[in-house]
Amino acid sequence: MDLSNTDTTKTKTKAPQQITIDGQSLSFTPGETIMQVAERAGISKRIAHFCYHPSLSIAGTCRMCAVEVEKVAKLMTSCSTPATNGMVVYTNSEKVKASRNGVMEFLLANHPLDCPVCDQAGECSLQEYNYEYGPSTSRFGDSEEKRVFENATTLKLSPLITLNMNRCIHCERCVRFCAEITETHELLMVNRGHHKELTLADPSKGLTSDYQGCLADVCPVGALTFNDFRFKKRVWFLKQHPSICDGCSRGCNIEVHSEDDIVYRYTPRFNQEINKHWMCDEGRLSYHRGHDKNRIVAPYFEGHECEWHTLLADFTKSLKSSKSALVVFTTDATSEEVATLTSLLPQLHKGGPINFRYISSTPDENPNENQDENQDQLLRRKDKTPNRQGVASKLSPISEADFQSFNDLVIIFKGSTSKLPRLAFSSSKHLYLWGVFLLEDLENIRASNPNIRGVLPGVHTLEKSGSYTNCDGITQTFTAAIRPPKLCVPVERILSKILTTVTAEGEAK
Amino acid sequence: MKKVFTEAAANSKDYQALTEVLTHKTPEAVITEVKKSNLRGRGGAGFPTGVKWSFMPNNEVAPVKYLVCNADEGEPGTFKDRFIINQMPHKLIEGMIISGYAIGAKVGYIYIRGEFRKEAEFLQTAINKAYSDGWLGKNILGKNFTFDLFLYRGAGAYICGEETALLNSLEGKRGEPRLKPPYPAQVGAFSKPSCVNNVETLANIPWIMLHGGEAFAKLGTEKSGGTRLYSMSGHLQHPGIYEFSPTLTLREAIQEAGGVRGGKKLKAVIPGGASAPMLRADEIDVCIDFDSLASVGSMAGSGGIIVMDETTCIVEAALVLLKFYAHESCGQCSQCREGSPWLSRIFQRIENGQGKLADLELIEDLCKNMAMQTICAFSDAVTGPALSSIHKFKEEFIQHIESGACPLKNHQAKRV
Ligand SMILES: Cc1cc2nc3c(=O)[nH]c(=O)nc-3n(C[C@H](O)[C@H](O)[C@H](O)COP(=O)(O)O)c2cc1C
Ligand code: SF4
Ligand code: SF4
Ligand code: FES
Repeated sequence: MDLSNTDTTKTKTKAPQQITIDGQSLSFTPGETIMQVAERAGISKRIAHFCYHPSLSIAGTCRMCAVEVEKVAKLMTSCSTPATNGMVVYTNSEKVKASRNGVMEFLLANHPLDCPVCDQAGECSLQEYNYEYGPSTSRFGDSEEKRVFENATTLKLSPLITLNMNRCIHCERCVRFCAEITETHELLMVNRGHHKELTLADPSKGLTSDYQGCLADVCPVGALTFNDFRFKKRVWFLKQHPSICDGCSRGCNIEVHSEDDIVYRYTPRFNQEINKHWMCDEGRLSYHRGHDKNRIVAPYFEGHECEWHTLLADFTKSLKSSKSALVVFTTDATSEEVATLTSLLPQLHKGGPINFRYISSTPDENPNENQDENQDQLLRRKDKTPNRQGVASKLSPISEADFQSFNDLVIIFKGSTSKLPRLAFSSSKHLYLWGVFLLEDLENIRASNPNIRGVLPGVHTLEKSGSYTNCDGITQTFTAAIRPPKLCVPVERILSKILTTVTAEGEAK
Repeated sequence: MKKVFTEAAANSKDYQALTEVLTHKTPEAVITEVKKSNLRGRGGAGFPTGVKWSFMPNNEVAPVKYLVCNADEGEPGTFKDRFIINQMPHKLIEGMIISGYAIGAKVGYIYIRGEFRKEAEFLQTAINKAYSDGWLGKNILGKNFTFDLFLYRGAGAYICGEETALLNSLEGKRGEPRLKPPYPAQVGAFSKPSCVNNVETLANIPWIMLHGGEAFAKLGTEKSGGTRLYSMSGHLQHPGIYEFSPTLTLREAIQEAGGVRGGKKLKAVIPGGASAPMLRADEIDVCIDFDSLASVGSMAGSGGIIVMDETTCIVEAALVLLKFYAHESCGQCSQCREGSPWLSRIFQRIENGQGKLADLELIEDLCKNMAMQTICAFSDAVTGPALSSIHKFKEEFIQHIESGACPLKNHQAKRV
């Protein structure tokens, strides 16, 4: 809705625009709604709401956000009412509370009240508000049958999303999301009044957008749920930790939900500049990679698991004795890992030059081509690694010549769980893999480089702290959301281990 | 000439007023005349038409504007717009051309109720005739004024009579009322400033132009000019369309329509279409104008007078209307979507003899939570029959509840 076209334009004066909410005087820019002012002031929690979503257009239909405005007889919906100068608003007057109670009673009248078997329980607006407002007993009547939609309880809208229409409160956030954000118009309401039903625009296709998980996010109740998470865990068991999605170079801000170092889901975390409230499904599901059963989680030396000290002794020796070493970073390394390794490794490598390069991620394309662009109109990027800009700002991309000149020791450093790029080189005497690798990565590398001497198991994004610079040059830091497997260690710990050993040896001599 | 439609309009020459206006009057003068006439909207809300027109932005700010005629006439007990369309379509077309001229609209739409299939055909024929006679189209009467008129058929939803739902429907969207502001005069059809007026409102305009605003004002009350078409239905000797001065009382109006049929006693009257709270037989000595009916807690609304005699079960009468509302709520607002069918169920169970005394309190509460809280006036309208029936005929409800059956019928309790 175009709010600029409202009465507020009349109040365009030089004097500061003030509105009072619950006795607190707040300034605003003409055009802002009461809800937006409250949001900016951090007091929007006081205004219960369902259909309002800060990143979607205003529907003004649930009527839950009604507040009392002095000198106005009717309650006004704060999501749709523009603030005007001198307006005095009460968000919790008796009249407001009565109205909220009313809305809750209406919404619950036909609601199945199946919280015990509903996956939204614990993060459901309806459930949450019912503690504060809403009836404790139903006046709907036991003899009355509740509204039941046909086939409604577990309708798969796609492999990713399930709809339970009986729980829907008709806020139409999902409809607006598909219309306004993905512009795919996959969902719509059919029929009228209490028969109004959410429906796929094309049932033969189902949902097809790459952002379906967001539908479960925007749905304030358990009507739309994300199949990947459905019934996996009650949400109150989950610990949340802010992080960055490393699924592509966008770097969407996320919340990592885990219990006992096992991640159960990602949810997008609001960031106005980067991802607003959204994230793509590919990124959302990428947490699975962190728990890949084939991840190499123990030190590896000449084809066998080994003790860390065995591997480190060999590694240190190789470093020292090599004449020319090449260290290749993948672009899912953190900027800190690049900085640490580029400054400390030369101290251990006495034999000659040590060269640092990076290799582009996109596995199927030319790895040397520094290409990254939007994959759609929203968030997804073609580069499926999180830190190309950060790495490329310090290092040059790898070239054929690099392999020719430095072939006596090659270290490949892989920072996280992105797909291993195609390594266009073969046979080096000593090849070490450092970081996060899968068994199949070893297979792939071995095809052209049979001599994998050792693997130093590292940690991925969720297990460490660091920073990535996204496709727009925005640098974002993060800290560990979970603890890594026992034998996977961050770069600085390995280096300090090596350095202390080397120093001790030096002193012993 | 004391009546606009049933005497004068039928006799006066079509497009005489239009000729008059285009040769002698500026658009501003037309608006001034309409303001003088005290014409108030006949669609239900009774908003002064001249004032509404003056909200339209001028031609410099808004070169493209629309005039929209609301011919959705869906209010139960109201059928006067259909009468106009059938009897004097050219009065409507002429009224629209003049109104378009006044507000600076070059295009008009008539949004006609989906069920009015024959009327739509008939009206289209009249529009075609007006085109071929040169009353519509480019440079009407050789003047620098162009007006095109399009007929758009609804798909059969009562809510599309609400002006902003109508605009959405006209644009091919779901017929759901819009949030206001912005009002249609700011952002209307296809995002352009628009003026929505009822059929009867617009059909009054030629008369006002021919006889003057003051003459029209004199036909009515101090605050509401002109005579009105009243749709008289229910248990009347002679139901039908009547044109009355609103200075008439409800009792007189009923007498004009032959009184209650079969010599039965009057029980209740709904004076202004389904949403108008009902009045008891002892409350009908009230004038049928907007303000008088409002002063007794009801409304003149669309001018649909529904008369019920002593054989009527009030619970059932209210139930019929509530079922209609439950079926017609657009379903956007929580209160209206869930409340309308809920109320209808409660009335149903009382009618079935399965109600409880607590239900009466529940009805009051639900209505309180439904009124004045929603996007459009529909939800308020639902509470009209619900509350007025239990307030004015409480004993009858209690009888239903206590005796476990409808006292007025010996029918088997049925559940619909
Ligand atoms: C639920 C609802 C239904 C309505 N139905 C009609 C209708 O069928 N015809 C009509 O002229 N006005 C109807 N109205 C009133 C219109 O919104 C609007 O006020 C009217 O068309 C304005 O015209 P007027 O100023 O000439 O009366 C309805 C209003 C509501 C809230
Ligand atoms: S499915 Fe969820 S988001 Fe969509 S309308 Fe229903 S409650 Fe709202
Ligand atoms: S009050 Fe009822 S009919 Fe009007 S917009 Fe709300 S839900 Fe629709
Ligand atoms: S949040 Fe404002 S009406 Fe729904």
